Amino acid sequence: MQGNILSKGLISLVVALFLIPLQSMAQELSGREIMEKLEDNQRATSNSALSRMQLSTCKFGVSEGKITCAERPRVKSLESVGKGYGIDLKDSRSIAILLDPPAERGISMLSFIYDDGARDNETWLYLSALGRVKRIASGSSDDETEPGSLFGSEFTTEDQDTGKLDEYEINLLEETVVSGREVWKIETIPNEERARQSRYSRTVLYVDKERFVELRIEMYDQYGKEIKRMLGARVELMNGIWVARSTTIMNLVTNRLSNMAFLEMHTGIDVPDEFLTQRTLTDAAFRETELAKLRAQID
Amino acid sequence: MIETKKIAGLAVATLLTVLNSANAQDDILVLDDDVPFNGDFTFDDDLFSSAFDEGSSANSSSWLDDFTVKISQQFSGQINTHGIEIAPGITLPREAELETNRLGANIRYQNAFAPGWFLQASAQIRIYLHDDYQFRAEGDSIDIESRGNEFFLQRSFNQHSIKLGRQTVVWGETSGNSVLDVINTTEFRDFNIIDIEDARLNQWMLVWDYFGEDSNFSSFVNLYPEFNPAAVRGSPFFFEPEFNLTDYERGSSMLIEAGTQWRKSFQGSDISIMAAYLYENQLRHEDPASLMGDAVAETNDFFLLGFSANRAIGKLLLNFDLAYSHDVLADSFSFPGTASLANPVNLKKDQIGTSFGFEYAISNEQSVSLGMQAQMLLDEDEGLLPGQSLINDGVFGSWLVRYSNTLMNSDLVISSTLQGDLAANSLLALLGADYTINDNWAIGGQIISITSNEESPLLFFAEDVRLSATLTYSF
Repeated sequence: MQGNILSKGLISLVVALFLIPLQSMAQELSGREIMEKLEDNQRATSNSALSRMQLSTCKFGVSEGKITCAERPRVKSLESVGKGYGIDLKDSRSIAILLDPPAERGISMLSFIYDDGARDNETWLYLSALGRVKRIASGSSDDETEPGSLFGSEFTTEDQDTGKLDEYEINLLEETVVSGREVWKIETIPNEERARQSRYSRTVLYVDKERFVELRIEMYDQYGKEIKRMLGARVELMNGIWVARSTTIMNLVTNRLSNMAFLEMHTGIDVPDEFLTQRTLTDAAFRETELAKLRAQID
Repeated sequence: MIETKKIAGLAVATLLTVLNSANAQDDILVLDDDVPFNGDFTFDDDLFSSAFDEGSSANSSSWLDDFTVKISQQFSGQINTHGIEIAPGITLPREAELETNRLGANIRYQNAFAPGWFLQASAQIRIYLHDDYQFRAEGDSIDIESRGNEFFLQRSFNQHSIKLGRQTVVWGETSGNSVLDVINTTEFRDFNIIDIEDARLNQWMLVWDYFGEDSNFSSFVNLYPEFNPAAVRGSPFFFEPEFNLTDYERGSSMLIEAGTQWRKSFQGSDISIMAAYLYENQLRHEDPASLMGDAVAETNDFFLLGFSANRAIGKLLLNFDLAYSHDVLADSFSFPGTASLANPVNLKKDQIGTSFGFEYAISNEQSVSLGMQAQMLLDEDEGLLPGQSLINDGVFGSWLVRYSNTLMNSDLVISSTLQGDLAANSLLALLGADYTINDNWAIGGQIISITSNEESPLLFFAEDVRLSATLTYSF
């Protein structure tokens, strides 16, 4: 089951929802154009990328007007390698390896994600207890399934999803200020078909006009009630790309929050095709050797 | 009744201890009841700043990082006091009693110590405490058992990988009851081990993998074939035999197993073709010639040809295994955990078997799977003496249904398993819950119920209800 969840969100994890390159945006852009540029840049950052991330999840509450964890966060760390394939690199292959917690260390998963909605994504999982590579039925790439939790966090596959802009009405509402930064306030409303697959009837994004980073996203249910809020912080320039290195999503219904910290994110890595195969799942000597080579490119 | 209360009490005490431990954390906050989410609110991102501090010290690894340790305490027992009528007028009493009370540690070491090299080792230690069946078998004294599991060295270069040492080789696509999953021996010591994944034993092997452009080969040589261990004295599966069941006396004979598998992936599908020369994992025990002393353990070698495939269709995964075995012993009982109860005759047959099934992801949280295993001896009557019959005639095998539901963002996993034989003589039902308390602590509980008629060896466990709780700490 977990494999299904992981596979759905894996490539998006690598993509990193809040990565936007620094660009000059002198001209006036429509909401649709802003969203298209977001998607283009997300795709660029997922190609030949090596990332190390930490996912922290906890119950939260408000104490003295400030949101904070009410318990020690559950922490998972993972390393991920991805590469684009196909026309315009719209297909992708990626592998994710859980490093922590100890009970889950070594769980690794290979995913082939196809842009073509007619082709099912492919996922293989390796669990040492299982002793073999296991194919996971992950569903098709058209997101027909209900969005699921990512590594047990509050991030869902839908929160991480990109593209499919034709399925949304996109409105540029206003220009305003968030956290002292000038932002575009953009509203996205799914069409009827998309709405059937979504938990959200409306999403409002606040996009940093200068750095093209989403600083805040509000997600509303079918009754117009805000049920989730996402905040981007620690916006830093990494490898020439503005990145919200710390992204926190709060589930306002369950009072749980998850933080995704991009500890490392490197693009332009020369990822050999052989690395993104089933061999990497089973051949630990090969995997560690190749990972060392990838890390050496960073150094 | 006292025993039942005792088992339940131990389970509750375990749970309370863990919950207390889990809650004993620093910085517990008293939260406001009404969380005002309308409009802006402040969020202190420094909450997770330690993650970035960790990032700067990521290279300061320790040799201890190569170790993974899991410590567990397990209680389990049979809680239904009843009697089993094994023959007309003969009833076997079954008292509720604690069967296991054991503290265990599993240690795994993994180290890619040089480019292309990898070392992996794992071991387990069990301390059998008061009222554990092994405690009683040792004359009411604490018994400590240790066992090496994996221990192999791997060298990978170019398109090759060679692994030498104690390891497992798993064939077949069907989870839990594949007819091709016969390379490694297994030990179902008691009912706490339901999954075959937990029961596999490692063996000394040389494994060579070749990773080609479009397909892979994996070949193995088992340098020291081992056999399913006999049931441990005192365990639920142990029955006092007429003669002691001993290990196989190798003497000067040299046993070797070997096999190879070719595997290729297509869009939405993987297929494998395999062949092997193997020894049956279950020894055949003959009465001693003098009718005194120990039983004589005999081996049986056979050839295996196999084919396996899977097919993913959306959220559905179909699995299929096919096995042709040449010269297997005629009476091998296929229900996991009861192999040692079989009494095969010395008659070799060819056998064809298949296991197939599906896994279906109902949602991202729920899944269901079904596996069927069916086997049939070819020319089954040939070689039988007048009046003699086989334990398994016609089509025999087992089926397995699993359902799991992941709740609370994967913190709680509820699962159920139904397992039975094709002749509908027995049924094992399991309901389990595993709760991850935090990154280190987890607790799990199981209820297992068995029903059986007189046609099945599981008759000896009919109407048994077992309750178990396991507390785990990993670091």
